[in-house]
Amino acid sequence: MAAAASNRARAGPSATLLALALGVGAGVAAPSPARADDAAPLSDERILGTTGSGLRLQSVTMRATAFDQYGHGYQSQAGPVLGPGSERATISEGQAEVIMKQGDRWTHRVWVPVDVVSAASPDAIDNGPRSADVVSSASHQVTGGTFDWTATYKVDRATDLSARNALHLEQPFRSWNTGLTATRSFADECTVLSAGVIGLLDWFDRFDVTGHRHGETSRSGTTGSVSLTQVLTPTTVANVNYGLTVLNGTLGNTWNSVPLASGDRGPELLPSQRVRHALVGRASQFLPWNGALRGYYRFYADDWGIVAHTVEGLLMQRLSAAFYVGALYRFHTQTGATFFTTLAPVDAPLQVADSKLAPLDSHTLGGRIVADFPVAGGVRALHFELGVERYYRTNDLQMNIVTWATGFRF
Amino acid sequence: MRSPPIVLAVLALATASCATVPQNRRARLADPMMNLNDEPLDAYRRHKLYDTREGAAGGDGTAAGGGCGCE
Repeated sequence: MAAAASNRARAGPSATLLALALGVGAGVAAPSPARADDAAPLSDERILGTTGSGLRLQSVTMRATAFDQYGHGYQSQAGPVLGPGSERATISEGQAEVIMKQGDRWTHRVWVPVDVVSAASPDAIDNGPRSADVVSSASHQVTGGTFDWTATYKVDRATDLSARNALHLEQPFRSWNTGLTATRSFADECTVLSAGVIGLLDWFDRFDVTGHRHGETSRSGTTGSVSLTQVLTPTTVANVNYGLTVLNGTLGNTWNSVPLASGDRGPELLPSQRVRHALVGRASQFLPWNGALRGYYRFYADDWGIVAHTVEGLLMQRLSAAFYVGALYRFHTQTGATFFTTLAPVDAPLQVADSKLAPLDSHTLGGRIVADFPVAGGVRALHFELGVERYYRTNDLQMNIVTWATGFRF
Repeated sequence: MRSPPIVLAVLALATASCATVPQNRRARLADPMMNLNDEPLDAYRRHKLYDTREGAAGGDGTAAGGGCGCE
């Protein structure tokens, strides 16, 4: 022991720091030796070891999802002039998430989703030889990506503060959002109260319904929310969340069209503000046969006249220590925007034919299988998930979805 | 709009009904199946699916109207 101490003294502080950095880099917090006969009182650091101030990898997760969509909507011009046009699209989506700890108080989450969408815009303006392509020929396959960074600071044992920044780039479209969230737990972490605010700014090219560009336009939004999570029993936990979003500016994509009574097509005419309210309740109940049931209800209302109710149930069953399976059903119903139409008078002050703003019901049916394998060594666990879903909307839209995730927990 | 008073009432009721469950009796709650929310990457792709195909996005703690030209 004395020789080791002597060697450490000769190696100097730089060697000690290097050794510490290597230990941290490997994700291992080497415990400090604590001897019963040491005179100094035991501290948390002496018992658990110091974690240093470097970055330590906590998890890496990747998810790939494929969407295959069929359907028709009156905003699309890929069809008869006054009839609904095609909304056919395929979407490939990749996501990567890295979570790192820095010291004892900081946690960083870096997340990069990338979407590749076929026929995202050309269907909307594909109206014969007088149409220009909305962006360029590249719009036949639009690629969009986001860089999102959230830093969370642990103020004390019960309080966290998070700051989030994200930048989204898509060919004719840019978006930036930033947010702050405060979370505090009470009653020995039985109750968690959270409040946050998110601001966003979008700026994008303004196209008309024939695909010609007319400069740029923008919109902004602010979302405030408050959330309460409560442990109700040893097998039940519930959450309630209220959120308010206010949007201002150009609230459409500018190239969606509306069939007109004159026999032609005109642009969407939308209000320049939208105020949206949502109240969400969710609960999870552990089931005696080693399963779990999660319920979700959401009430939504906005000043465009849309009122929506959404319910969802997810039933899960553990098959072994590593595997569990789940079955999902979701139902959504909404009224339409007050100015939704499939044939607008020529002088209408507001008009929209976007199929998502119509009165509609939708159903989602899905299943998933999840595996978490504990492993030895630098990686603590491997996570795999396969999910399949079928989405069906009553106004002629359906979609098949396959998703796969792989994760490493350190 | 009467939602804010309703929310405050729900929050007050939930807080009033709080009974502390000891940490050593929460093993079931730690099971991944008991997560109230989807895994974040799964939640994102589901949010995006519904936000761009239904007219009822946002207002629940997630940004609405940004980050997608299809809004």
